Amino acid sequence: MSYREYVIGAYAVFAAFLAWDFLVPRLRLARARRNIVLRAKREAARKNGNPA
Amino acid sequence: MNPVLLWFHQLGSPPVFDRFAARWVPVGFVLGLLTMAIGLYGALFVVPADYQQGDSFRILYIHVPAAWMSLFVYGLMAFYAVIALVWHIKLCEVLAMACAPIGALFTAVTLATGSIWGKPMWGTWWDWDPRLTSELVLLFLYLGVIGLNAAIEDRRAAARAAGFLAIVGVVLLPVIRYSVTWWNSLHQGATIKLFGESTMDASMTWPLWVMVLATKFWFVGSLLQRARADNLEREAGKDWARAAAGVER
Repeated sequence: MSYREYVIGAYAVFAAFLAWDFLVPRLRLARARRNIVLRAKREAARKNGNPA
Repeated sequence: MNPVLLWFHQLGSPPVFDRFAARWVPVGFVLGLLTMAIGLYGALFVVPADYQQGDSFRILYIHVPAAWMSLFVYGLMAFYAVIALVWHIKLCEVLAMACAPIGALFTAVTLATGSIWGKPMWGTWWDWDPRLTSELVLLFLYLGVIGLNAAIEDRRAAARAAGFLAIVGVVLLPVIRYSVTWWNSLHQGATIKLFGESTMDASMTWPLWVMVLATKFWFVGSLLQRARADNLEREAGKDWARAAAGVER
């Protein structure tokens, strides 16, 4: 009456969801930062008459 | 002005919120992981196996906190949505929409872990029982809020429309809470009570309370992190956002 595999499965699901919850917003934040940098570079290139 | 009120007003400013979130996101996650480590150690290695359910009852230590979070996060999302709609505070729109994916994740964890527990205990992965079905409807509501927010291009109009849906969906919360009382349900009634005596022995409940606290800390970290990303995307053209992204002027 151990049901160990069910316990491991449930905890693995929990860990996977938490990992997803941690990583996805981090990646989104990194992408937002990268987009801001790229936008600034495009604007700077346009100002200098050099369309990037 | 009262210093606390003043602080709240200042926190509504996107750059101030960005700095605040940057400071508190790691605190939320670290406290969440530490308390979770304690709670999981207690749940898996300290408390004895149940005399009827064996070790399968240990799933309760993640299932119940996740279920409580699924309701709590929905309530908070609706609360932020009300503030956003009444006072047009942009940060509350951001926070309300940041709640939705976290709540959906906790609801999905609740359904998945409940299903895994149900197979050995009930002999089935799923049953169209009032508690399970209403929790599934909650997941669909969360997905509806996320979908509606993503479907409208104007971010503010999207948050307002999704906020309306979130507020309307609040009627589901008491249905979920009392479904085991109002209808004949395969799902058991409340075992653990905040007020009143639990039907579970005190020696087995402490890891549960630690896990409840851990999921709250985790939620703080996750909410601020998601809100920070959304805030930065919305304010991408502003000087402060450029400075925060490391663009030299």
